[in-house]
Amino acid sequence: MKKVLASLLASAMLATAFAGCSGDNSSSGGSGTAEKPYEGTTLSVMLAYGGAEATFDAFTEKTGIKVEYVEISTGEALAQLQAANGSTTADVWFGGGVDSYIAAAELGYLEQYVSPEAEAINPTYRDKDGYWTGLALVPAGFLVNNDVLEEKGLDIPKTWEDLADPQYKNEIIMASPAISGTQYAILNGTLQAWGEEKGWDIWSRINDNVDFYAKGGGEPGPKTCAGEYGIAILAMTGSTFALEEEYPVTAVYPEDMIPWTPAPIGIFKDSENKEAAKIFVDYMLSKEGQEALREADARIMAREDVEVPSAIGNVDTSKLIQQDVTLFGSQREAILEKWDALAGEKDS
Amino acid sequence: METNQPLARRAGRYRVANLLDWLLLGLLLAGIALFILYPILSVIATSFFDQGEFTLRYYQDLMSSANLKLMQNSLWVTTLSSCLTTIFAFCIALYTFTASARRRAFIQRSLLLTMISPPFVSALAFIMLFGRRGLITYQLLGLSINPYGWQGIVALQTIGNISFATLLLMGSFDAIDLKQVLASRDLGASPLQTLWRVVIPSVRPGILSVLFTLFTMNLADFGTPIVIGGRYKVLATEAYLQVISTANLGKASAISVLMIPPAILAFYFYRKTLSRTANLADGSKSFSGSGYTFELPRSIRWVLVGVVGLFFVVMALKYGNILLSTVSNTASGEIQFTTRYFQDLPRSQMSSFWHSIVYSIIAGGAASLLGILLSYYTHRRKLPGMKVVEFVASLPYIIPGTFFGLGYVAAFSHEPLMIRGTAAIIVFNYTFRQISVSNKSANAAFSAIDEKLEPAAQDLGASRIEILRGIVLPLLKPVFLTCFITVFTSSMTAVGAIAFLISPGRNVASMELFQSIENGRYGVAAVQAVMIILVTMAVNLLAMHLLDRSRKQQKGGKGHVSATEPSQEAV
Repeated sequence: MKKVLASLLASAMLATAFAGCSGDNSSSGGSGTAEKPYEGTTLSVMLAYGGAEATFDAFTEKTGIKVEYVEISTGEALAQLQAANGSTTADVWFGGGVDSYIAAAELGYLEQYVSPEAEAINPTYRDKDGYWTGLALVPAGFLVNNDVLEEKGLDIPKTWEDLADPQYKNEIIMASPAISGTQYAILNGTLQAWGEEKGWDIWSRINDNVDFYAKGGGEPGPKTCAGEYGIAILAMTGSTFALEEEYPVTAVYPEDMIPWTPAPIGIFKDSENKEAAKIFVDYMLSKEGQEALREADARIMAREDVEVPSAIGNVDTSKLIQQDVTLFGSQREAILEKWDALAGEKDS
Repeated sequence: METNQPLARRAGRYRVANLLDWLLLGLLLAGIALFILYPILSVIATSFFDQGEFTLRYYQDLMSSANLKLMQNSLWVTTLSSCLTTIFAFCIALYTFTASARRRAFIQRSLLLTMISPPFVSALAFIMLFGRRGLITYQLLGLSINPYGWQGIVALQTIGNISFATLLLMGSFDAIDLKQVLASRDLGASPLQTLWRVVIPSVRPGILSVLFTLFTMNLADFGTPIVIGGRYKVLATEAYLQVISTANLGKASAISVLMIPPAILAFYFYRKTLSRTANLADGSKSFSGSGYTFELPRSIRWVLVGVVGLFFVVMALKYGNILLSTVSNTASGEIQFTTRYFQDLPRSQMSSFWHSIVYSIIAGGAASLLGILLSYYTHRRKLPGMKVVEFVASLPYIIPGTFFGLGYVAAFSHEPLMIRGTAAIIVFNYTFRQISVSNKSANAAFSAIDEKLEPAAQDLGASRIEILRGIVLPLLKPVFLTCFITVFTSSMTAVGAIAFLISPGRNVASMELFQSIENGRYGVAAVQAVMIILVTMAVNLLAMHLLDRSRKQQKGGKGHVSATEPSQEAV
């Protein structure tokens, strides 16, 4: 018994060791210290951007700055910052819900920095005071389980209003907007597009079709793949489309409008490596860095000179909602309060 | 014991020994004050202040009907799952009690291994098997059952805690005075009467103690309801979600404070049952070692066999499913094999794993030692005020982990104790969160050791430190090791408190798993879970091996009870 266990353990370790090796070429090749003034510095990153760690090695090779990261949802990160009164050992905040960045900027936890690269980025994707800059846009849409829809004789929803159709009763799964930054962006964006009155009416009818709200943006996708629900509302990234190859699912962009949220990057006020952090931000916003990021997890990149990746399907960028992202922060409390009243027991 | 030394030298040594004794006590008290009381008070303080001004606003907000419902939900689910777990655990423990030595050892080891239950993955396995499209409910039986709700929470909490609870209960069964059972049978009582009048009364304190331990654990559990609760809300999840969704610490900590009164109540009952157990103890009544097995009426026996069988089936399903998920994709109904999940492991996986192992081993050792010392000073030396200290030490175990974790952030992010972002904060958190477990095990062990032992040693001239080092600690060596296993296992699988304490470069394996779940990478999560299970199992087997050896040395190779369970003496 023990021997079997030991060998199992060994093989598991081995497998992971190999997996770990494949991405580990971080030893810096170059020698010119003039180009790498911060060689040897280590940056700490709070990461909420799936797959982005794959780009860190290229950055380290280029600059000699090492990067350590921890994956943590922006909600948890903000709670941690608050409990510590804004002090943190991390230097850079990478990806996640923009509403958390807005709240953190208001609380004075973020450093203002306008990267020279930001010129190439649409001003609506970045903070006007420079507290954060959008790395990419995360569009939102539907993931439908073809088997479930067929079996139950349901149509593939084409628009957001379609979701309010009573035929989808208990077949829709989406995250709570109080927890998921993407879901909150969907709610806020559609409300901006529809106007308050019409918007809340539609959402209250969608609410009738939702059994319960997931406790995170990562949940609706797998649940729909497993056929537990017919339709997921979720972020449309490369990994969403990759599900199509494995499961009987299709990722669908709504035809009426596509809500989106910027995936931001920002520097903590408490950072002790601000200069290196700025180099890191510059890199991630540069064409080279953006292309590397797009490679790691396909999204619509913030830079207009970086093409929309084919891995996220045929996204019609003209359908992206014309929205004011600053409202994500200022309206948050009011919208979530209204949401709470509407969703009642289904949501926390 | 070196008792034949000149008196004058001994007098000097007494002074040193007393000094050391006080130093040890001082360290223990300081540790509890700094790493339990201070962080908890720091986070509670946030619920009384709004932008620097004192307020009771958050507590006024709590008095709403929605929160009352929340409390009701929590109490309902917690009570139900704790009772169910206790009933099942009782059946398995009773079966084991009547089983042959070999079977007994087998069950004990199985329990020990199934105690390692990484967070979230068992809930995912449950959904995969019994969900709306479950492999069993839908594919096999053609049913579409909605698993989300209080039923799901109760089922999972019961399944998740059953091994732990049974192990705790088996300690009580081991302590049954066999002579009483034999006497009862000799005097003509039927097996059923003996069960009813002798066996059950003997383990009743143990049952109650298990019940209350489960109650506090389930009350604070947020991982299960978050995955399977659906729209059913409980206090622990609400406190956690409040923290991460509204960025309103004050409100979240006020909700957590709501959970303290039920916890105090549970602790009160625990203390009451403990004092009753202590009265029963005469220190000489071990069941083990005799060849006698207690025969039960056939009908009851079959019920027990049924429960034990069910337990093994459920565990096989659970762990089989997790294992299968590491190499296959079962979500679409058919099984497709893949090695992709191994390749997709995060690149920090190995270093996180290493951190987990090292931190958990340190925490296991430290928490066991501190818990034993705490028990010693409270119940053997009976120092005044120690009961309050013991209660404070049990708080981290009964309040939600997230709350305790935020307390650490609030307390240790500034001078004088700026340890946030270091390995130390994680180790301290692991350690002090679990002190209560080892403390309870030590309490139970002490209650079985004759109270006159230490005064006797003192009369013979042993100093306080000599008593501690020469008598108390050696006697509790098995307890130390079993506590170590328990604390190590729960540290390896901890998520609640630790979520706020990890920092770049200081991640741990259980959090990597949590992050995979959060991002919907379920296959990767399964691989990580299996890695955690295997490593924990390996360390536990090693510890058991050591424990067996030390027991054999102690008892001169007497016992057949070679299998050793964590906290077996905990009741």
